[in-house]
Order: sequence, then C-alpha cells, then structure tokens
Amino acid sequence: MTLLSPEVIAVLMLDGILFFFASLAFLLSLRIVLRWDERATTPLQYTLQKQAYLVATVIAFIFYLKLPLFLFFIYTLDLLSNILPGAMCAAGVTTATVYGMPLFGLKIANLYLFGLWLAAHRIDMGYPTMPYTRVKFLAYLLLFPLFVAEEALELLHFFGINPHVIVSCCGTLFSAAKSSAVSAFVSLPLPVTLGSFYGLFGLAVWAWRKQRPLLSALANLLFVPVAILSLIAFFSTYVYEMPHHHCPFCLLQADYRFVGYLMYAFLFFGTFFGMAVWLAKRMGYEGWRKWLLFSLIGDFLYVALVSYYPIAFYLKNGVWL
Amino acid sequence: MKNLFAFALGSLLRRGAKNLFIFVIFFLMVFVLASVFMVTHALKKEMFTTLSALPQITVQRIVAGRQTQIGVERVERIARILGVSQALPRVWGFYYFPRAGVNYSIVGLESFGQQYRADLQKAADLYVEKLAAEDVMIVGPGVKKSLAEHFYPESFLFVKPDGSLKKVRIAGVFKPQTVLESNDLILMENSLVREIFGMDESMATDIVVRVPNKEEIPTVARKIREIYPDTRVITREDLRISYQNVFDYKSGIFLALFIVAVFTFFIILYDKASGLSSEEKREIGILKALGWKIGDIMRVKFFEAAVISLTAYLLAVTTALAYVFMAQAPLLKHLFTGFSVLKPSFALSFSVDVGTLALIFFVTVPVYIAATLIPSWKAATLDADEVIR
Repeated sequence: MTLLSPEVIAVLMLDGILFFFASLAFLLSLRIVLRWDERATTPLQYTLQKQAYLVATVIAFIFYLKLPLFLFFIYTLDLLSNILPGAMCAAGVTTATVYGMPLFGLKIANLYLFGLWLAAHRIDMGYPTMPYTRVKFLAYLLLFPLFVAEEALELLHFFGINPHVIVSCCGTLFSAAKSSAVSAFVSLPLPVTLGSFYGLFGLAVWAWRKQRPLLSALANLLFVPVAILSLIAFFSTYVYEMPHHHCPFCLLQADYRFVGYLMYAFLFFGTFFGMAVWLAKRMGYEGWRKWLLFSLIGDFLYVALVSYYPIAFYLKNGVWL
Repeated sequence: MKNLFAFALGSLLRRGAKNLFIFVIFFLMVFVLASVFMVTHALKKEMFTTLSALPQITVQRIVAGRQTQIGVERVERIARILGVSQALPRVWGFYYFPRAGVNYSIVGLESFGQQYRADLQKAADLYVEKLAAEDVMIVGPGVKKSLAEHFYPESFLFVKPDGSLKKVRIAGVFKPQTVLESNDLILMENSLVREIFGMDESMATDIVVRVPNKEEIPTVARKIREIYPDTRVITREDLRISYQNVFDYKSGIFLALFIVAVFTFFIILYDKASGLSSEEKREIGILKALGWKIGDIMRVKFFEAAVISLTAYLLAVTTALAYVFMAQAPLLKHLFTGFSVLKPSFALSFSVDVGTLALIFFVTVPVYIAATLIPSWKAATLDADEVIR
C-alpha cells in the first residue's frame, strides 16, 4: 500500500518538476562542455552562451527550491510518524525502509553541492570572460547523477513505506545499547566527543584569525558530521532534559519549540560558507574574507545555541545529566 | 536590485489586462486548494478533540464477522487486569426516525454511576434525579429541533422491537464542546435504552476500558484479546490512525486531481508568457540596447512572476480563511461530512497551522515560477538589433 498523504504528493510533484528542469540543464550542459570555445565567433558558440544563462538559472531555481523543500520534507516525515505504528518522530519514518538513511545523507550532501555550484557560478559571472564556464558545467554533469540518485531513493522510500509494519522509535535507534553505527559514537567517551566538537570550532575560529581558507574548509567539512554526532550523543539530551533520549529529529517538533530548524539552519549557513570560502579563494574572488566572517558567525551561533542547553540545565539544577 | 524591482512592478501595471487574467486564474486555483485543506484541517482537529474524550480501549464482541452484544459479566474480569483503572459496559445504538429520515444516536448512562466521559458525567450529574425517577431523555440541539418540527416538542414516542410504544419526555438539551458528534445525541438511563432496543439486562453494546498509563495500553489490549478471543479490541491509537488515513485519503485524492489542473495552468501560463507582443519585444530590445544584461532582464521577469504569484497566494489564502471560517465553507463542507439532516449544522472552529499554509504554498507558487523560467529566458535572450529594427 502506498501512502496518499497530501504532503507526500506535494513533495513528489515538486521533485518531478525539479527532475524535469535538472534533466534539461543536464542536456544543455553536456553540449556546452563538448562544444564550448570562448574564442569562436560561430552561431553555435553564441547559442551556447545564451543557453549557459538558462542552465544557471535552472540550477539556481533548483537550489533555492530545494532549500525550503528540504525543511518541508522533514516536516512531512514528522507528519508521517503519526500514521506509522511505532514511529514518534521523523527518525522512525526515515528508517522505515533501507533507502531512508542514504536518502537523508544524499539530500544534505546535494544541498551543499548545489550551493557550492551556485557560489562558483556567481564568482565566475563576475569575470567578463567567464573563464570557468567549462569546468562549471562539467561539475554540473557530475552533480546530476547524484541528483537523480536522490530522486530515485525518494521514490523508493515513499513507495516502500508499509504503514502496517511497526518501525523503530528514535529511543531505540540512537541508544547506546544497540550495536549500530550511531550507537558507537553515542557510547564514545564524552571528552572525546566534546573535545573534537569544540576543537574543530576552535580550529574554524583560528582559520578566521589567520585568514586561512583551506583550513576553514577542512575544519567545516569535519565540523558537519562531528556537530551532528555530538548533538545526538550529548547536546540533544539536554534539550529534552532526558539522559536517554538521543535524537536529532525530535528537536524539530513543537514540543521543543521547533528549535531544531534554527540549529540546522545556523549549522548549514556556517559550514556552507566555511567550505565555499576555499572555492572563492581558489577562483580569485575578492569577497572571500567576508564569506569567512559569515562562516564564523554561523558556526558561532550554532555552537552558542547548542551549548546554551547544557549550561542552562547545569545552572538550574546544579548537576550534569 | 531595488530599481529592477520597481521596474518589474511598473511593467506589471502597464500590462494590466494580460496579467490580471493570469492573476485571477491563479488566485482561484490557490483559493480552491486552500479552502479544501482548511476544511480538512478544521474537521481533523474537531475529530481529534472528540477522540481525546474517547475511552482508551473499546471492547466489542464479534460473531460471524459482525459486532453483537457483549455480556456484562466480562466487565469484572477485564477490570481485574493490572493497569486497568475502570471498565464500564456501554449501552447505546442508533434509532431510525422514519418521518424525519434521520438516525439518532441513543446513549445510555448509569445514573449515580461513573461515566466514561467527562461531558457525560456533567450531564448525568445535572439531571441525575430526573433520569433515575422517570422516563426522560436529554437530547442534542439537532434532535430537539427535528423533533419539534415533527410535532414532538415535549416528548417522543419510541417504537420498541415488539411494536409497542414508549413515551419518553425531553428533560433538557445537551451542549458539550464539540457539536459534530453531539448534535444527534440522545441520553437516557441504561435500563430505558435496553427497553427501547429490546436488549437483555445482562447484555451491553460494548465495554470501555480506562488505562491511566498510556504505555500500558497495548499490553492491556493484548491481554483482553487473549482472555476473550471472540472480541475486537480497539485502542484510541487505532482510531486516530484510521481517522488520519481517511482524511489523508480524501485530501490526497483531491490533490492528485488538482495537480492535473495545476499542469494545465502551467501550460497556459507557459504559452502566455512565451507569446510576447511586438511591443514587449521592442521594450526588451531597447533595454538591451541601453546596456541591460540578460541577467537583468531575467531578474525583472522573475520579480514579475514572484509578485503575481505571491500576492495571489496571500490574497487567496486570506479569502479562503474568510470563506471557510466566517462563511462556514458553503458547498465544500458537505464534501467531507456528507449530506445528513442532522449532521451539517455544526461550526468549523478556527484552526490554521503553518504546515497547511506551507503545503498550499509548495504546490502552487514554485509551479508558477517554474512555468515562467523558460519563457523569460527566451525573452531575455532576444537579439536587440533584430527586435528594434
């Protein structure tokens, strides 16, 4: 049985539209990569230059729609947890099929990649000759299969969910007891988890002080998984004020004032610019210092927000969980 | 950026008639969609309010796949299961009144006894003396009205299964928080209900079980199933899921059909936006000759699309709010509640959530903007020298 929830239909429809445009952009970029010659004065080159605009606009459209759509996707999963027996938040719905977790990872990775592509495009447009055009569209050709994989996983996931099969709740999925990939990190000693979390943040701050784009990119790249794992292992328990509730999804529910949306927005903003700054420097973009500062602000807001919960808990109760 | 936006606004106003046409169609589409989702949402909320007042577990006896009466003696056994704080037999049923063509729900209550619902308890406390002393009933406002229309202002003559008549006086009108389920409700003393339906003293319609700890509900339900294999045990969670599914199904089907309409609109819009008049072409040519880049013109086109779709969205949602909650969604409400003489006279209580608004937004506005992408690119890449010539 397939789910006929209006939210699922909406997500699938929009992804259908995005797929149509992404395929169009793929075909056009294929031609651009093969035939682009900036010194040529042929009608073909002239047409390609025009089409490059269309491709870039389409990709921008995809990215700017994917960004809010990703939030809506999580919201949809949260709603579905009302129907699936056993699920209490999006975690259970995500693991309802084997495709759920890869889908989630791929969705996040694609957001970063499309964003980086757009950043590169913006920088490239700043030069009169658009020197990176070919590389840019080649990159999109590599990006497209990932996008198709995401769409395919999403279809498999939504049509694979069986509303009569009991799924796991986040309480069991992220517990330290079970021997899953995540539980290994949950049971990691606290100093290691927190040390790497604040250490990487420190590294990002240092990269800003010393104005080192490569260091910033590396620190932020590592910061994403470490931040999420430390959120599961440590910080989330203080948000829920429950020592055994490790979950990155329940944060997004009304019970916790949707604070998760804010956290993930800060994290994305900070780490995205942290990585993009390296690209900007490599492409010779003047404004990269500003991006480094954006990254620092985003990272700082994220760290401040997640650190607030344990500190506030300690101040109120005088003990750690 | 600001100037481009101002230019886009000006350009929209200059071509008012053409844009108005698109605006009106888009407005109507969003309006219909928003109204349907708001009605669904309000009904869903009403249902869930009702649901939270229901007992945690309902036990029915099934014979040959049909629900039948259940023996009252089972209450004792169920009440002894650990975790159960209360088990009560319920006596209730539907009474068909042919002249009005309606079904009344007759619910029995035990005066001086505990009720399984707070609102019933309140009613029982209020009328306990009367209910115990004589043959009276408390009725919902809809029942009161339909009885009065058929010349039963004070009392009603029930026809018992053997054909004899039973006169029952109306003692009061029942007004609980949700009108949806209580409009057709009649409350009476248990023994009176049994008499009207011709039921045995030792029988009840079903048994409701209260379990204070939510975590224990599945276990208790399983135990009841094991003790009495001929019963169907329904938990509140089961009901909630099936309600959710019914509403999702209805609005899902609607949305699936609606998407066809959205794509038709998409094509109309695509066509409209592609067919530039010679005047528009000239304008673009002049702008390009003045030094506008392709990106600038595309940006203006994007602003135009965004302004039209967003204002239409906002206006449509506001109108839908007024239509659904102030005008009580004439026509549309019956799609979900069905035609029944007593049911429709309830009010949709105001409830909007961000999720519904986001859903409406996502199936309309991005589609609109997507439809204008390629036409605006085509317009922006027109050659200046060709169009001005």
